[in-house]
Amino acid sequence: MRWLKENSLSLTFLILFLACVGGQAVAGWHDFNDQQLAQHLDRISFLDYVTSAPYAVDVAENWQSEYLQFFLFIMLTVWLLQKGSPESKEMDAAGAESDERQQIGRYADENSPSWARATGIRLWLLSNSLGIVMGTIFVLSWLAQSVGGQVAYNSERLVDLLDPVPWGSYVTSAEFWNRSLQNWQSEMLAVLSMVVLSIYLRQRGSPESKPVGAAHSSTGVEG
Amino acid sequence: MVLASALLVTGCAVDTTAPARTAVRFHTAVSAGQMENACAMLSAETAERLPGPGQSCAEALRALRLRPGGDVTEVSVWGGDAQVRLTGDTLFLHRFGDVWRVRAAGCESVRDLPYDCEVED
Repeated sequence: MRWLKENSLSLTFLILFLACVGGQAVAGWHDFNDQQLAQHLDRISFLDYVTSAPYAVDVAENWQSEYLQFFLFIMLTVWLLQKGSPESKEMDAAGAESDERQQIGRYADENSPSWARATGIRLWLLSNSLGIVMGTIFVLSWLAQSVGGQVAYNSERLVDLLDPVPWGSYVTSAEFWNRSLQNWQSEMLAVLSMVVLSIYLRQRGSPESKPVGAAHSSTGVEG
Repeated sequence: MVLASALLVTGCAVDTTAPARTAVRFHTAVSAGQMENACAMLSAETAERLPGPGQSCAEALRALRLRPGGDVTEVSVWGGDAQVRLTGDTLFLHRFGDVWRVRAAGCESVRDLPYDCEVED
């Protein structure tokens, strides 16, 4: 029970993720087959759908935008500030910060990760591991979107009696950028809303909010 | 995982021989005057739309006098759809279950527009 309580946030989001991705697969399969029937083409099985290009591109295009959002949020908040926002560091803390504040090298304590006491590439990797992993997942998801998207796009072009296009043409096509940018704009708006609204609004008990009684001008304080 | 799926769906092991074989057999049947056999290789939608009033599919196909297909020069398979270029024709096919059927034949390229096809759905 204690383990469940201590990991309840991750477990809840894992369950929500699995439920949503499963629901997307079922709804997407029915939607795909409705379109197949409208074009006088055969229905496909659920297994064929979840291994198809249309499903891969629908999943990947959302993944890449989410990971881009968090990658940018992680990296930009190292240097950029927003006075009054709990999502920002304090006004004098922009940058990579001191070794002491980051608890690395001789400032590491007995509970610090061992690489926090290391030097060179190991310390650099640990110091940037979150950004590296989130950025890598973004790039791979975007690549997956481009590969799956090309298959789905070319399949539609053949249905319309048009020539298929090579990958280079697809990733410079309006279709690819429309798919990417329509996801990116919503992610950027969500981050902007979070950064700005949290200056003036509160959610009691949430670490994403300032304490209810904290001043609008106080920055980098989480409740 | 998604990248792996995406690579999988690009068709690393795409079978281009099956749609090419259907395209060649279609033109072989047309050239041999075996129009019923050729009609059997069309998709249901194409076979249904091809004949004019009072005409059978075979009669309509014979009246079109399609040019000989010739040899296969290029095959593109994307998902369940394929384009087969022959020296004398370009065909569009769709996979129904395990069977490839001809959706369009006698096609000529039109710049920036869909192919103009004698036979299409």
